[in-house]
Amino acid sequence: MIETINLTKAYGNVSVVDGLSFTAQPGRVTGFLGLNGSGKTTTLRMLLGLTRPTAGEALINGQPYAALDRPLQQVGAVLEQGISHPGQSGRAHLTAHAFLAGAGRDRVEALLERVGLAADAHRRTGDYSLGMGQRLAVATALLGDPRVLILDEPANGLDPEGIAWLRQLLRDHAQAGGTVLISSHLLAELAQLIDDVVIIANGRVRSAVPLAELYGGAGGRLRVRGRDTVRLRKVFEEVGGQVAGDEQLLEVDGLTAEEAGEAAFAAGVPIYELTVHTPNLEQIFLDLAGA
Amino acid sequence: MIALIRAELYRMATIRSSWLLIGLFGVLAASFGMWNAYVWALFAGIGTLGIAAFTVAQHHQHRTAALLYLARPKRYPVLFAQVLTTVLVSWVFAAVTGLPARLKDGNGAVYRHTLWVIPVMAVFGAATAAIVRRASWLMYGFAVWFILVEGIIGRLEQPLPITMYIDASRGDAWGLEVFAVWAFVLLGMAALTLRRDFSAD
Repeated sequence: MIETINLTKAYGNVSVVDGLSFTAQPGRVTGFLGLNGSGKTTTLRMLLGLTRPTAGEALINGQPYAALDRPLQQVGAVLEQGISHPGQSGRAHLTAHAFLAGAGRDRVEALLERVGLAADAHRRTGDYSLGMGQRLAVATALLGDPRVLILDEPANGLDPEGIAWLRQLLRDHAQAGGTVLISSHLLAELAQLIDDVVIIANGRVRSAVPLAELYGGAGGRLRVRGRDTVRLRKVFEEVGGQVAGDEQLLEVDGLTAEEAGEAAFAAGVPIYELTVHTPNLEQIFLDLAGA
Repeated sequence: MIALIRAELYRMATIRSSWLLIGLFGVLAASFGMWNAYVWALFAGIGTLGIAAFTVAQHHQHRTAALLYLARPKRYPVLFAQVLTTVLVSWVFAAVTGLPARLKDGNGAVYRHTLWVIPVMAVFGAATAAIVRRASWLMYGFAVWFILVEGIIGRLEQPLPITMYIDASRGDAWGLEVFAVWAFVLLGMAALTLRRDFSAD
């Protein structure tokens, strides 16, 4: 499990992360969302012991990263844009880090195969595309076969096939009981992957809930067209709806499609269109992050 | 610690530019050794400084230090493994490239004295790189320091690091002691500043 408790990082008088508390549970993929400069990367770095918190705690399996025994066998991390020496081949990069992770050469070869780099393993990483660099970073994170994965924008540079591959890999990891915390700005992709979502803005948590709850909390807005929108507006308001829109199209909050349809039927007003407009993750995120 | 040293040695061996540079500089140093043992000693020292400084600084330049710190969150073993690795590689570098100088120099005194002081130079270079963290700053910084501060201002007579290295390579025990103090003071500073945030690099 990943847990932050009142985690704070300040540079001088400026708080980059301000009292951040959230958890990422085993068996689930947790999305970590925030606009640029919201404190995502700083938070992940504090979790990984690369940046010291000003206050609060960042815990993995109940311990600070620095206190973990054989950390690469407990936590795998993807940072920045595929870190490696550009003059070293992909295979050599993995092999060097396999020494540190306590992994053998067979594990290196298996991972190169798994991330689709076996054919390019002899090439210098400086000649890799962004997507290949990200695949190498994922392979590096998996060297110690860790249960916890922390990934900072891992889909950057991946093509659609690569994103689908990564999505499957992370879903499989969570289904096997692993903990996954992933930050990304590719919100549409994230929506298909995550179970829980943590949204931060200005270093503070705006929302930390299961994704389904976030969608539910945002509610579905109804789009309604009918013969007499003036009467429909009045009818919807009488049964508790909040109505916006004009004479052509009404936008109704606070009512289900069933409630709106029944109310219109009871009033005897023909309905031409009744659709539920569910906000996507991007809209919800922008609403919360910008609030 | 063994795993760190093994990983570092493997890394140096598998980065072509690293061993090409070491090889080229080694050939140059050995060639000068055929002419003059003192010039070889200077080149062996510069080569050692380069090996040590760039081995450490490149980890920060290419951000691979983050991967090291993820593997070993207690950073002191990382620093000491890097120091030991550079001492080992530098000593072999000097021992091999100095063979012509050893043959040229009748009693081999310069060769012997230099092999004593080379590990100190490796500690000095690695410690400085761990403090500065930027390869380009190191390169220009060392050049300006050696030419301007030690050469022009100090006239290679003051108890400053490179001057003391040169004296030590000529068998001056005082030079070796002063240079060792410089190296270990810097190593202490490197250890004290090791916990700086990685993101602030």
